[in-house]
Amino acid sequence: MRITNLLLLSPLLLIFSCNPDKLPVYGTKTISPATGDSIDYTLPTFAYVDQDSNLVSEATTQNKIFVTEFFFTSCPSICPKMQAQMLRVYEKYKSNSDVIILAFTIDPQRDSVGKLKSYEKKLGIESSKWHLLTGDKDSIYTLAESFLVSAAEDADAPGGHVHSGNFILADKQRRLRGYYDGTKEESVQKLLDELDLLLKEK
Amino acid sequence: MDKNKIIRYLAPFAIVGIIIIFILNVITHGSIQHPGKSTYQSRCAQCHGDNGEGIKALTPPLFQADLPVQHFDSLPCWIKFGMNHSIKVNGIDYDQPMYPNEVDEIQTANVINFMCQEFFNYDTTVNSIWVKQKWKDCE
Repeated sequence: MRITNLLLLSPLLLIFSCNPDKLPVYGTKTISPATGDSIDYTLPTFAYVDQDSNLVSEATTQNKIFVTEFFFTSCPSICPKMQAQMLRVYEKYKSNSDVIILAFTIDPQRDSVGKLKSYEKKLGIESSKWHLLTGDKDSIYTLAESFLVSAAEDADAPGGHVHSGNFILADKQRRLRGYYDGTKEESVQKLLDELDLLLKEK
Repeated sequence: MDKNKIIRYLAPFAIVGIIIIFILNVITHGSIQHPGKSTYQSRCAQCHGDNGEGIKALTPPLFQADLPVQHFDSLPCWIKFGMNHSIKVNGIDYDQPMYPNEVDEIQTANVINFMCQEFFNYDTTVNSIWVKQKWKDCE
């Protein structure tokens, strides 16, 4: 085979060499001092209360794929659109016990358990599937950082807080597997497609 | 040939040309877009939905909604200054705050006309002078 033919084939080889069925793993890998193996970044442990005052921790996410968002109930700007899109995720996996949604408020001073409960009713969702979580503010901001997204107080921003509109996809080992713009329909479609891929992953 | 004759000779071609461009435009864009549609999409759709369907009990629908027609004169104020009180739309209570929009009187008039036509089934047209008058009375 002539060398030019090989060159023509090389893009094809590139396509087949990376596995299209496998989602990336985000975050910095660490090296195990004992074995020298590289270890994937996993989310830290956490404990917050949801709209039913139930404790939700990393144990709740055990053997679950979970989609996470950071929001607040009085958010005037991007949140309504985010919730409309998260409702698509909710509707699709409502009866799939392998998938849950975690929504952390970044305005816990105002978003009490009662406020979150009334927000749940407005969305018409079930608390066991879509946890609306509140707790210590600083701890939630730190948690947002561990999801590699931003959340902060900002008096100039509408509603007094800025936050990323990302939906974050995490797998059953609490590894970060995807980031999607929760305000964009096509980006959330990608999330739905990739979540299906993740469900098939062994 | 003098100037007038040339113009008279070319005029039909120009008219036919304009008509062809117009028809092509309609074919490629589907229809002529309502001037209020872009304002609706950039300012209103993220909460009220692309088709005015609203989001559950979080944000009220605009499509076939009763309140906007009942309180038609309040629309300019609501659009520009938002709303901080609870409302009832088609029998359902809504109490999430509506946030203000940076819009001028022309955008506001256009978006009201767009919603009248698309959502309210309300045979009314407003203009920017009417909008400015209503803004004077906002609380």
